[in-house]
Amino acid sequence: MTSRPLIAEVFMRWLYPVLLILSFWILMRGHNAPGGGFIAGLLAVSASSAYALVFNSSEALRRLPFGPVRLAGCGVLLSLMSGLPAIVQGLPFLTHPWVTLSLGFIQVPLSTVMLFDLGVYLAVWGAIGGYCLILVQAIEEDA
Amino acid sequence: MGNIARSCNAKTQSKGPQWVASIPGVLFALLLCLLFFSPLPWRFSLPWVPSLAIDFAVYVDGLAAQFLVLITGIGTLVFVYGAGYLSGHPKCTRVFTLLILFMAAMIGAVVSDHLVVLFVFWELTSILSFLLVGFDHERESSRKSAQKAILVTGVGGLFLLAGLILLGQIAGTYSIQLLLERAPRFISDGRLNTALGLIIVGAFTKSAQFPFHFWLPNAMAAPTPVSAYLHSATMVKLGIYLLARLDAAFSDLLFWEYTLVGIGTLTAVFAALQTFYERDLKRILAWSTVATLGTLVMLVGLPGHGAALATSVLFFAHALYKAPLFFVAGNLDHGAGTREIDNLTGMRHYMPWTAAAAMLAALSMAGLPLTFGFVAKDVITYAKAQADVLHLVSYATVFVNGLSVAVAAIAAIHIFWGRDTVPRKAHPHEANASMLMPPLILASLGLLFGLFPTLIDPLLGASARSISPGFDATKVNAAYDIVPVLEATLGTIIFGILVYLRWDWLHALLGRIRHFETVGPEAWYHRGLEALPRLAARQTRLLQHGSLPHYLLAMVAVVTILTIVLLVWVSPVRNWPELKTLTIPVLGASTLIAIGGLATLYVYDHLVLLLVSGLVGYGSAILFLFTGAPDLAFTQFVVETVFVVVVATVLVRLRRLSPEKMNAPKEPLLRPLSLAVAIAFGTTLTVLVLLVSGLPFDSMLTDFYAEQSLPVAHGRNVVNLILVDFRALDTLGEISVLMFALVAALPLLKLMGEKHR
Repeated sequence: MTSRPLIAEVFMRWLYPVLLILSFWILMRGHNAPGGGFIAGLLAVSASSAYALVFNSSEALRRLPFGPVRLAGCGVLLSLMSGLPAIVQGLPFLTHPWVTLSLGFIQVPLSTVMLFDLGVYLAVWGAIGGYCLILVQAIEEDA
Repeated sequence: MGNIARSCNAKTQSKGPQWVASIPGVLFALLLCLLFFSPLPWRFSLPWVPSLAIDFAVYVDGLAAQFLVLITGIGTLVFVYGAGYLSGHPKCTRVFTLLILFMAAMIGAVVSDHLVVLFVFWELTSILSFLLVGFDHERESSRKSAQKAILVTGVGGLFLLAGLILLGQIAGTYSIQLLLERAPRFISDGRLNTALGLIIVGAFTKSAQFPFHFWLPNAMAAPTPVSAYLHSATMVKLGIYLLARLDAAFSDLLFWEYTLVGIGTLTAVFAALQTFYERDLKRILAWSTVATLGTLVMLVGLPGHGAALATSVLFFAHALYKAPLFFVAGNLDHGAGTREIDNLTGMRHYMPWTAAAAMLAALSMAGLPLTFGFVAKDVITYAKAQADVLHLVSYATVFVNGLSVAVAAIAAIHIFWGRDTVPRKAHPHEANASMLMPPLILASLGLLFGLFPTLIDPLLGASARSISPGFDATKVNAAYDIVPVLEATLGTIIFGILVYLRWDWLHALLGRIRHFETVGPEAWYHRGLEALPRLAARQTRLLQHGSLPHYLLAMVAVVTILTIVLLVWVSPVRNWPELKTLTIPVLGASTLIAIGGLATLYVYDHLVLLLVSGLVGYGSAILFLFTGAPDLAFTQFVVETVFVVVVATVLVRLRRLSPEKMNAPKEPLLRPLSLAVAIAFGTTLTVLVLLVSGLPFDSMLTDFYAEQSLPVAHGRNVVNLILVDFRALDTLGEISVLMFALVAALPLLKLMGEKHR
């Protein structure tokens, strides 16, 4: 790349975290409204690939929380472990128990289903994002 | 046994566990003890595949016990012999490993009381035989022989499987003992003959009956201990074992009787004639084995108790004289470097002990008085007298017996006596002790049991009782009606000696009229084997031409035709739905999709093509959004975006690397044809979708999720709840697949990256 798209780069620096936060919000709202781990993961992937488009794929890979394989692996492990509490309670694997945490004036419902969805999110981001970025990286001349 | 391991390890440094070599001997000793102390039958059962009602059921009666004695007893001697024969051979360990496995498979086959389990072991013996015949796999003839063995017995195995399943269904049980008990109930079932016919084909391929006989002489490419064990004493008798096993129930069927007697006799005569063509001692023995197998099949088919006894006695006698003769052939090969009978005369000067073993075994094979072969001949004569056979069969037996006298004379007299006239390069030498003991022991046993048949009486009597349940006397030693037996024996012996004296003349005579090879079953086998690759090549050229447009055309055309057939003839749907008025967004989305689809036809640039096809994706997403599937729409948007971005990046780089234009297909007919097929496909699908949307919608599943999502899964987004809660295990599997796909793709991508640099 001979000339750098300066405006796009500056814009992208801001857009990337915004997109990630957006994806996280979609992850969290997924339980009751359109969204969820899968879509949110794909949105994170699109954030990564947009980043790769403006800068390059190596930069985008570096902006992933861990390496892509490790990210995907963490996701799968997280989802897997979210099913364990049910086993301990003698319920079928991946039955999600719910507890309500009261923080003084506000009641926060919590469940292992969140962990499971987070795992899906990370796995999708790591696997699909990793695949796209590494594919692009493989054919970039100056990577 | 220790010396087997030693002889293998001396030069090859293989690290196999050495105690393995002593397994056959230990098993044999164990078996003899059990036979002494525990009355037959033995049985036990373990569940194996409970869901298919397959049990590892073991049932050992006289017939199975006789086979076990042969399998382990001859197995022990084969191991001892093999230690000498293969001493220092680089692949020695492999042979012994395969032999042990083979022995296990063989034991499994004869003790099994379940048809399916029997079949599994049966196939195992075929596979192990293939490996052992192809032992010397660097020689082409060896590979061809192994291929022949596995193809013939393998195809036969498929027939057998079909027959066994059919038989099991007719009988309502797969347990052999139950089946034999219940046989009178289904003996008149119309499907029984089909089942038995299929089983007979399977058994005939295994036991080398006409027209499947040709694989056995070729299987002599295997090392001699293997030939003696598999292709004479045990495996080839497995087919006869199965027939004998079923004979208890079906011997009254005319179809059964005529097939077995007819084919058995035909095989025996045919194989006896084939013997003349051969000059290689091992192949001569192989053909005479085929002849004996034919006789055995004939005996199984004969009705009456005498035939059952004759079967079990001939089983035993044949093992006792044929195995030592194979060992002798191996010794000659080892000591004199040849098995051609023309180059072997007067060998007794060099190999006196081998000569002694050959003499003893040949006496039994010729059926001279005071040998076990004589006992066998006696009971066979008795059986034929009892069963009232056709004269033709009787003459055939005399002919075959005469020929085995001649073969015995070749093996014992021609080779070892006579004057040593053939010039040789190397001095022939006697084999070592481990190669002499087995033939001597077996041949002496033949003599011992001939003198004192009472020793083996209980075993063979029990065996005959399991072939023919009503049989109660132990008539092995019942003093022979000496005169008719002697008459018959004398006849065959004189005939045999005449044949022996004119052997070379007969060989020349029959060699001249040897046209059977060009029209016989073996020729058909070869023709079929040559035609198969040609057929495969032709259909590959026709179907696997490698042109993407043609593949697509064919697939779409087939789907279209099938759909039309289904819609019009198979399950006609006639109620057209009322068309709903289209809303503006749906209309817009459809227009977008249509524009994208049509534009792809007129665009040649890869990149533009990608963007235009992206229109189809976005159009569908909008459609989803306005037809009540926001999650799907959302996903579609993101996937489409990521896809276009990534592929565009790749395409831009690729175009920079190879700036060639896309070539339009050259065939003039392809484009109009494709257009026609595409229009037909589109029309059909449109009609299909319209018809399907007119069908009443079964909302059971939707209702279930709508009701259960809030109380059970504490959420309101049903799509996501299905993903993370109701079907969470599926999702877990999917993300695991995603991850592993990445892991699998990584090395390839890395490799690609390195290539570009």
